[in-house]
Amino acid sequence: MIGLTDATVRFGNRTVLDRLTFEVPRGRSLAILGPNGRGKTTALRTMLGFQPLASGTRTAPPVVGYVPQYASSNQSYRVLEVVVMGRAAGLGLFGQPRPADFEAAHAALDQVGATRFAQDRFDRLSGGERQLVLLARALATGSDVLVLDEPGSALDLHNQERLLGLLGMLRRPRDRAIIFTTHDPNHALAAADDALLMMPEGGCVFGPIAETVVPEHLERLYGVPMRSIQVPGANGRPHDAILPAFAGYPAA
Amino acid sequence: MLANRAVIKRAGAIALAVSIIGAGASFSLADDIVITDHENREVRLPAPAERIVTIPMPMASGVIALDGSDSKLVGLNPLSLTAIREGILGKIFPEANNISDAVTSTDFMPNVEALAAVNPDLVVQWGGRGPEIVDPITNAGLNTLLIKYGTEDLTRQYMTMVATAIGKPERITELVEWRDKVEKDIAAKTAAIPEDERPNVLYLGRSLSDITASGSKSNYNAWYIDLTGGKNAAAELEGSVSINREQIAQWDPEVILLNSFEPNLDVSWVYNDPILSLTKAAQSKRVYKMPLGGYRWDPPNQESPLTWMWLADLLHPEVFDYDLRAEMKKAYKVLYNYELSDADIDGIIWTAQQGDAAGYDQFKAN
Amino acid sequence: MAATADGVADDVRHRGSRAGALAPFAVFTALLALSVLVSLCVGRFSVPVPRAIEILFSFITNPGRAIEAMDERIVLLVRTPRVVLAAFSGAALATAGVALQGVFRNPLVSPEVLGISQGAAFGGALAITLGIWGIPLLAVVFVSGLSALIFVGLLARIDGRTEIITVILSGMVVGSLFSAFVSLLQFIADPNSSLPAIVYWLMGSFATATWERVLISAPGLLIGMGLLWTLRFRLNVLSLDDAEARSLGARPELERWMIFGLVALVVGSQVAVSGIVGWIGLVIPHASRLMVGHDHRRLLPASAVLGAAFMVTIDTLARTVTAAEIPLGVLTAIVGAPVFALLLRRHYRDRSAR
Repeated sequence: MIGLTDATVRFGNRTVLDRLTFEVPRGRSLAILGPNGRGKTTALRTMLGFQPLASGTRTAPPVVGYVPQYASSNQSYRVLEVVVMGRAAGLGLFGQPRPADFEAAHAALDQVGATRFAQDRFDRLSGGERQLVLLARALATGSDVLVLDEPGSALDLHNQERLLGLLGMLRRPRDRAIIFTTHDPNHALAAADDALLMMPEGGCVFGPIAETVVPEHLERLYGVPMRSIQVPGANGRPHDAILPAFAGYPAA
Repeated sequence: MLANRAVIKRAGAIALAVSIIGAGASFSLADDIVITDHENREVRLPAPAERIVTIPMPMASGVIALDGSDSKLVGLNPLSLTAIREGILGKIFPEANNISDAVTSTDFMPNVEALAAVNPDLVVQWGGRGPEIVDPITNAGLNTLLIKYGTEDLTRQYMTMVATAIGKPERITELVEWRDKVEKDIAAKTAAIPEDERPNVLYLGRSLSDITASGSKSNYNAWYIDLTGGKNAAAELEGSVSINREQIAQWDPEVILLNSFEPNLDVSWVYNDPILSLTKAAQSKRVYKMPLGGYRWDPPNQESPLTWMWLADLLHPEVFDYDLRAEMKKAYKVLYNYELSDADIDGIIWTAQQGDAAGYDQFKAN
Repeated sequence: MAATADGVADDVRHRGSRAGALAPFAVFTALLALSVLVSLCVGRFSVPVPRAIEILFSFITNPGRAIEAMDERIVLLVRTPRVVLAAFSGAALATAGVALQGVFRNPLVSPEVLGISQGAAFGGALAITLGIWGIPLLAVVFVSGLSALIFVGLLARIDGRTEIITVILSGMVVGSLFSAFVSLLQFIADPNSSLPAIVYWLMGSFATATWERVLISAPGLLIGMGLLWTLRFRLNVLSLDDAEARSLGARPELERWMIFGLVALVVGSQVAVSGIVGWIGLVIPHASRLMVGHDHRRLLPASAVLGAAFMVTIDTLARTVTAAEIPLGVLTAIVGAPVFALLLRRHYRDRSAR
């Protein structure tokens, strides 16, 4: 379980998070939406424990599986080496990865479908492939909490589809708490149980997606008219989707 | 009225003319001392120099010796000062211990403010080493004499220049004659010594922190090693460079000369070293630290003939038998008007530390 | 699954690469062994190779024996401690360079960048000026090297978290400051006994190597290198940004300072006995990376071995090519700078090809 209670974060005079409260138990998945600059990243960092709180509390397991948006290292590690780093928490300061750790790393790569890259250099992969590896690393930590920072934002449509499929697959066993931030409300619809909307004026809306990811809230959130529509999905079943009113082109 | 003013004007003009002529006359009547220094510069002194600063190290004691007193020396090199304090000159001329050494750093870079503060009428500086150490002095309007180091001829020339500058040209004549005589005496005898009877002599410029030796070109030590019938063991080197003990082992010199610049250095440094103690020099106890008299005997200075005699006696006792003690007493009387005692001599030639070295018996007091 | 040797054959699904993974290590180790052997057998004093080997062999089998003959003394008392010191120092500097480049995520850092080498050199110069020799001098060197690092840390403190670019800039400031202090000391010092030693140290040399110096510097070098070796996996983690590293269970700031402390121990021990030697900490890690990759579990030991071999080779050249000793800094720069330029070119070529 991971969550914040009455969390307040200030940068100088600016209050970025004001008594923010939410929680994500095991088996639930949460999407965090909000306009740029509102504090999504701060909320994420606070949840991960990187951001000190001015007041309030944070609840989280000792190790959290964190998937950053971009890899920060400029070293040319091999993919397997990157993933096995996820095992670091269990090894202590002077520990070296053992065969069991490499097994776990391989298993994580299998889970995300990236086994064929195991010996490739990480910095030679495409953006989408790298994200899979980072996800594998987070899985390799063995944590039952997964936190993803804007996982879909930099991906093309094909990779977005793959990512959403993966998130759905990870969600199905209901053994993890999953949190991700996103700009796209449809990702929330596809992959989350609950949503946290961080409104521009400062308040928040938290609840199941059926109640929160709806045009009236989203219009307040983004300041653009939103329309909910139904589209036929790839498997024939209808999908509910939400689009901004400006999407597309006025029909004849 | 007009006429009076005209008369006054004319009288003034005449007076002015007379005074100018008079001054000109007095100008041309005085004898300026004119010296051409080692960079072919003309150095003019209206009168013998009374306040001299010497930046080159051997020249401080040189000036004292030439003048017979320390009163003309107002500034010197810090290393000249240490030689005075560590050696006998400080005992002979006690006030020399207090002469200012702030006028230059040890690498001959002058401190112009300190120089100006001692108000010299002549500054002696090394020539041939670039304008950076000379220009600050000349730009300050100070009279500068540039001298060059390296050979016995150059040494005699610049000692003559300085003697002239202090108005004692007759003094240098006797010193130069002495040097010339001793040099010729020694050379005559060593000319006959064949190559294979000349011992390999290694002079170490530095020992304690970093070991250095020099090749033979423009090297005064190498010159007098050759003069006294030896060979420079380090002849293959270019200039003064760092060497290691393995190289010394390879040269395996027959005689080792240690510098007199490092006060903490004595011959036990060689005998205690596992490598150096196995050299021919150490095995035959022919390790000698250069004496420190009125100045250090390593570089050229007013006592150099004593160095040559000392070394000749040690390198070729079968050919030379200078009575070093007698020669030293004579020389110190002439140079400093000082009666050298036997204890003084022992201090100068390091009898306590190396009295048991090969050949040092001959220097024992009677 | 088959048992695996650490860092060598972890990828059990790629059988061919076990031999491939070992090859660079074998090459480096062979280079080290060869350079050490050659170095012990050559020198200005002529000792025929068979005789040199005989001397070494009899020393190994009978170490208590008195060493009387000149050639024995040359090989065992002059060359051997010098080679040992050079090898240890090369390994130590290369290890320190790898650790710093990993932690800084910047391939252009080295002990000189942090100001540690300059701090240690100032300690040495100060000790000499005050007439302190022997073991107390080594202690002063080590303390001043560490203090340079502490000054860097104090300078770079921001919001209680140390930004890496700030540390680099602070390192440059502190390094320049200590270098200036050394020059100041040069100016003040009595030139005939202490000044040459100061200058000499700043240029780096193993000419004064004795078994005593080896014994004095060995503990610091070996402990520092040993601990850095145990942290080799941790270096991978620390080479990520703080957020990622923390999420993986590390405490980046604390652990970084631990590594800095070990680097100071290693570099201080090396400067104390041989002066500032540059380029090794910068170039060797790069050369090793080309052969064994970025994973610190392989990079660290590979760099140590390559650094040792390189330093031994350079020092052999310094003492045998001419009768005079060539300063180490000159040789490392002559060899290191073009190699570095080549590496840089290749790096940019690779990068644009991606």
